[in-house]
Amino acid sequence: MIELENVSKRFDDKTVLDSVTARIGREEIFAVIGPSGAGKSTLLRLVDLLDSPSGGTIRIDGTDIHAERKRSLSIRRMMGMVFQKPAAFNTTVTENIAVGLRFRGAGESVIQKKVEDALDMVGLAGYGERRARTLSGGEMQRVALARAMVIEPEILLMDEPTVNLDPVSVEKIEELVLRINRDLGTTIVISTHDMYQGQRLAHRIGVLMNGGFAQVGSPREVFTLPANRDVARFVGTENVVEGVVVADENGSSVVDVDGVRVRAKSSFSQGEEVCLCIRSEDIRIAPAAGARGLRGGNILPGTVASISPRGPFSRVTVDCGFALSSVLSWKVVDDLEIREGSPVSASFTVESVHVVRATRN
Amino acid sequence: MQRRTLFAVAAVMVALMLICGCTGTTSDPTPVATEKQQLRIATTTSLYDTKLLERLTPIFEEQYDAEVLIVSAGTGKAIEYGQNGDVDVLMVHDRAREDAFLADGYGINRRVFAYNYFVVVGPESDPAGIRGMHPEAAFTTIRETGMTDGSDVVFVSRGDASGTHSKEKAIWKAAGFNYSADVQGSGDWYQEAGTGMGATLTMANEKQAYTLSDIGTYLAYKGDLDLVTLVDEGDILLNVYCAMQINPEKYPDINSTVAKDWVNFMISEDVQKEIASFGVDQYGQPLFYAARNDWEKIGVPQAEVKDPIP
Amino acid sequence: MYEIIEGFVEAARLIFTLDPDVMAIAARSIVISLTATILATLLAIPLGAVINFGTFPGRKSLINLIQTLYSLPTVIVGLLIFLLISRVGPFGSLRLLFTPTAMVIAQTVLILPIMTGLTISALSGIDPVVRDTLYSLGATRLQFLVNIMKEARFAILATVAVGFGRAISEVGAAILVGGNIAASSFGSSTRVLTTAISLETSMGNIPESIALGIILLAIALGVNLAITTVQHR
Repeated sequence: MIELENVSKRFDDKTVLDSVTARIGREEIFAVIGPSGAGKSTLLRLVDLLDSPSGGTIRIDGTDIHAERKRSLSIRRMMGMVFQKPAAFNTTVTENIAVGLRFRGAGESVIQKKVEDALDMVGLAGYGERRARTLSGGEMQRVALARAMVIEPEILLMDEPTVNLDPVSVEKIEELVLRINRDLGTTIVISTHDMYQGQRLAHRIGVLMNGGFAQVGSPREVFTLPANRDVARFVGTENVVEGVVVADENGSSVVDVDGVRVRAKSSFSQGEEVCLCIRSEDIRIAPAAGARGLRGGNILPGTVASISPRGPFSRVTVDCGFALSSVLSWKVVDDLEIREGSPVSASFTVESVHVVRATRN
Repeated sequence: MQRRTLFAVAAVMVALMLICGCTGTTSDPTPVATEKQQLRIATTTSLYDTKLLERLTPIFEEQYDAEVLIVSAGTGKAIEYGQNGDVDVLMVHDRAREDAFLADGYGINRRVFAYNYFVVVGPESDPAGIRGMHPEAAFTTIRETGMTDGSDVVFVSRGDASGTHSKEKAIWKAAGFNYSADVQGSGDWYQEAGTGMGATLTMANEKQAYTLSDIGTYLAYKGDLDLVTLVDEGDILLNVYCAMQINPEKYPDINSTVAKDWVNFMISEDVQKEIASFGVDQYGQPLFYAARNDWEKIGVPQAEVKDPIP
Repeated sequence: MYEIIEGFVEAARLIFTLDPDVMAIAARSIVISLTATILATLLAIPLGAVINFGTFPGRKSLINLIQTLYSLPTVIVGLLIFLLISRVGPFGSLRLLFTPTAMVIAQTVLILPIMTGLTISALSGIDPVVRDTLYSLGATRLQFLVNIMKEARFAILATVAVGFGRAISEVGAAILVGGNIAASSFGSSTRVLTTAISLETSMGNIPESIALGIILLAIALGVNLAITTVQHR
């Protein structure tokens, strides 16, 4: 449906997007995630024809949307967009939602019906006569969503729509996104810097970093098999360490990390420099004495370097030649009598080590 | 709701003003025809400030079915308007400049319709002591006392290149002074108002100063003033008013027919009577004398006071 | 002191008895300045929109120039228009000098820069997200402009009020090109509140001046009051 091909965008001297390539399928929810300033908004604005790319092409159903000047209005009218900070026109909620319909010359009765339906959909029935500027941020964002949806767009673009909203409002918006996609089949492109939101909503995720998509894939792929150390870092993989492959056989290899040997599943061959990504949830900690009870391909002895609170959990960092972090509940920490300096063993399976090529910028 | 009321009130007020304004000024039974001829007159302020023209214009407007638009300015300014062709008729009182204006071909058909005298007015206390003097001597005295240290003698001049200003300069010259060198800028005693006769009198009154005024304007304003007449005799004080057409050869689309009508109207017998009697009931003496029979006295050809423009 | 009190009493009488002369002058002031304001609005809003949303070389300098012209002295405008429409001027054949039309032209020229400048400010003060939202909702160029105006309506309304206030309160240009004529018909006269106040005061007619002054003040305050009321709704 939407094809991005080598899309780039420069503002004066600053290159924001550099060769972005991706395909977004019909009826898909595609999340663009990436750190702040990665160019997520710029990318969405380019798709919505609010900006022109410096290079590359954006095609919708095969049409180069920036080349078709004459059709740009009808192309823009295929899409609806919700912005990070919703713009409340200084009038009633009803009139706010009706704007797009009025632009398309809809009749008064049609407008009334559609606006009512839209208000119903976003759960703001009865708010029609309120002045838009008196709404809370969450309510206004829902009005903005209704305003974008009332024109029945084929594509809905959402630029970080839940930033600055309270958790309840975030939940409502997310629920609406899923429902719109499910019930209406609208293709949705949503940008967010919250990787968990991406995970909750998206069929596929594109990780936008350093001006391009570092990885495009299903949420599971992106979380478990990050394409490189930056993606791994961004999706919350706590342990990313560098090493060199010292032995390989049958799709598994041994990697030397600062003199410690780690077994992993990978197809890298001897001598290659790699990064090991290990999610902290996959690491078990046991007192040194009970190491026998541990299973898995890797059992590394070490001492506890630090224990820091993390919500209802504690993050325990073990120095076993290199630093490895695990997450344990408070109770487990107490039961195991782990303190800073305690001798422990850290263990993890061969399968839980994701190996990527080491890239240096 | 509140806003609607506010707008309604505002709308009603504006409408009311419009109605009052329109009906107030067009109360004559014949409604204003849109095609009515318009006559533009540039006049010296004395004819305007005395309200003489206010008396005469309705008569003319009715007789000739025309609308008279009057711009009141000093003679100098009025002559400038005439030179630019911005008006149809000029009414001024500065013989020398009129002659130049006619000679340059800007004006034609001058007719003299009234005269009176200039007077030197000043505070009752007369600090310079000029009461009863001849104009030249009075001016000399005012200048001398005014230039003495610590004196409170002030002379307010029109300073606007008007006919009165011309006359004042003529008196300074006759008294043996070079106007620009000896009078203008010779001290705080001499102040130029740069405005009309009425305004100058008001100013002189505020400052308790001397000034030269035509008798007509002075009498018209006398009620509001504490100034008294101190010098009123001397040939040089003669003040002659004329009306003339702007030359249609210079400005072909000028309204020359109505202009001619106006000049002839001013020297007509009825209007001459009107001029001679104007202000008598209010001020006890006329503000202007009719020129019709006094052409010898004011030193102009008889044709200029009696013969209508053909 | 007594004269001032007497002046105010007489002024009150002139106002409350709706003195025809005073009312005519007030009405003429409103008509002339309102016409000028409407004309200037019709010019300033499109002009402001073009300058604000346009991209052309010299745009910044143009905005600077417009802002400089805010302080255009009224007599200079009067002089300029006088020179243009006087018989010997380039538009002399139109015979506009000493007509209400001339005053409308002068006032329009006088308030055009400030109204254009304030329109630019009003439009540039609109949140960029509003602009993006309008485009993303599928606005054509015209629909976009109309809706931006709607969003900026209070600021634009204030612009109009500023223009009207400046037009009705200026005296320099009005007296130069109007000539302060009191003719027998409403439409030929060029005597407005400011020029009449100037004349009446110089002739010592203080009560008339006070009455006219009170009306001028009431109009100026009334307009601003109305605008503030609307804005604070």
